[in-house]
Amino acid sequence: MNPHDTFEIRCPVHGFVALNDWERQIIEQPAYQRLRRIRQLAWTDQVYPGAMHNRFEHSLGVMHTAGLIYDAIIRNSSKVLHDELGYDEQGVKRNRQLVRLAALLHDVGHSPFSHASEELFPDQENGGGKFVHEQYSAAIVRGPLREAIEEHKLNQGYNLEAEDVAALLEGSAGARQGIFWRDLITGQMDADRMDYLLRDSHHAGVHYGRFDLQRLISTMTAIRGKDGGPPRIGIQEGGWHAAEALVIARYFMFTQVYFHKTRVAYDIHIREAMKELLPGGHFPTPEQLSEFLAWDDWRVLGLLASGGGGEHGARLSGRHHYRLVFQTNEVQTPDDKARLVKVRASLGELLAAEMPAGKSWYKTGNTDIRVEDERTLGPVPLSVRSSVVRNLGNNDQVLLYCSPENRLEAMKKVKEALDGME
Amino acid sequence: MEWNKLQDARLAVIAKLVSLAPAGYLGRTALMKFCYLLQTVRQVPLGYRFTLYSYGPFDADVLSDLGTAENLEAVKTSVVQYSGGYGYRIRKAERAEETIETGIGLLEEHVRDIDWVIAEFGSHGSADLELESTIVFVDREGARKAERLTISELARRVKDVKPHFEEAYIAGKAAGLYEKRMLRSLAASMVHA
Repeated sequence: MNPHDTFEIRCPVHGFVALNDWERQIIEQPAYQRLRRIRQLAWTDQVYPGAMHNRFEHSLGVMHTAGLIYDAIIRNSSKVLHDELGYDEQGVKRNRQLVRLAALLHDVGHSPFSHASEELFPDQENGGGKFVHEQYSAAIVRGPLREAIEEHKLNQGYNLEAEDVAALLEGSAGARQGIFWRDLITGQMDADRMDYLLRDSHHAGVHYGRFDLQRLISTMTAIRGKDGGPPRIGIQEGGWHAAEALVIARYFMFTQVYFHKTRVAYDIHIREAMKELLPGGHFPTPEQLSEFLAWDDWRVLGLLASGGGGEHGARLSGRHHYRLVFQTNEVQTPDDKARLVKVRASLGELLAAEMPAGKSWYKTGNTDIRVEDERTLGPVPLSVRSSVVRNLGNNDQVLLYCSPENRLEAMKKVKEALDGME
Repeated sequence: MEWNKLQDARLAVIAKLVSLAPAGYLGRTALMKFCYLLQTVRQVPLGYRFTLYSYGPFDADVLSDLGTAENLEAVKTSVVQYSGGYGYRIRKAERAEETIETGIGLLEEHVRDIDWVIAEFGSHGSADLELESTIVFVDREGARKAERLTISELARRVKDVKPHFEEAYIAGKAAGLYEKRMLRSLAASMVHA
């Protein structure tokens, strides 16, 4: 086969995803093929039956989107990149491939059912909290995928190392100047977010995550820093409404899909069931990669089908999921917080689970987007241009759940707690 | 620490940092880097997960907590225009003391660390804070791998990430941080190598 051949894969969001032989060889590796067996949105199909898509197609979409964004930024800001970061033609080509590979591989470290089971990653020995999926992705890139990344003929002109990709994924200094592109992999306007909003909308059958992808991408640029600071990725003035639409799409997808009360309940059940299924109640560490990679949705579903997973496994199988018994407002005021404290205390042992929006991987956050001021060419926060973005408060909603068996009693307790407080 | 308590502690730290800001307000960069330095240099258990960007260590959760602090009226943020562009000004709001009181007890032994970060870095501009926190980040990566770096090696690594700065300027900043015992990967004999 000619290493310069190109290939196309059908994609329900982008039409076709084009890839070179190097990328194709990486996709063929078992560590990447495993993503076919990791659902993108865990048990969301219990609410939106179409949401059965997987990390395999999403990762291809992220690579495609990252390539388009990269090309637009080079087109719109080659002078900034040349003047400020010293880019030449070869550097542009090499970084393009680096960004595409990082985008393609950003999710290879996901555990079964994606974010739903991330709390079961083990603690790090250095006191740095639990491992996160990006650390597993980086370990897989440095390990099982190293040869496919480094040894392909197309790499001869670039000399990309697995370490370059891994460092960009985990956000370490080993990424060197490539770190500039990290915002495309994980940032407020990254390729991951652009793809998952559109893809999750498509499969869930909702329109909440739609925005003008083409316009947004075509106006992305490197903006000179303020006060002579380094350049940052942002949006040209003409694209700020498209960026505003992205922020709104994210808000709607969070409230309507990702933080849907029943979807969240299933996240709780699959996490608790997997705690029963995993030896020691947690996943193997990134140093135990072959054991970690043996865990995928198929294995978990098989164990659940044979009666594993304890009480939560039974709830998943029988659809006896927890019921929402109380929720705060999305933007929590001091009074809301006082009500939450009182309801929580009143429920006592009837409170089966609690989920704050702040703990969700999909939380909307408070990060601003940089817009390039037409006059000064310096950065302006999107929240200055957009009153919608300015007024979109941080979502602090907290959901409280009880078991379906205790629902009536729990509702009574909530009412008693709130009486006289309104 | 369970989530509710952790968040109360983070909100208290944010409100306290803003209350102590010498100018009466903090920018977002300063808030981000102060949280990083508190957690990394003084081991304040804030539970953030900072990773490196071209603008230094960053965790979006800090800004998410800032949004929550705004909702709870502990701080208020405005965007101001000045000759160099736009910037955020985060000021103390009416419920700051209440927020501090609720969460600070969880970090009792670290209260003086908040004074420390303001005293050491409170007057630094955002570009210097980005650089200094990047130096600490790169230093800690080296220390985790048990590396012993010379100051020029450390400065070179930092320059790879922040090519805007002259290597000599980075080395000078690193030497200053080392003298204040904030770096771990530099061997004493290597500082002036």
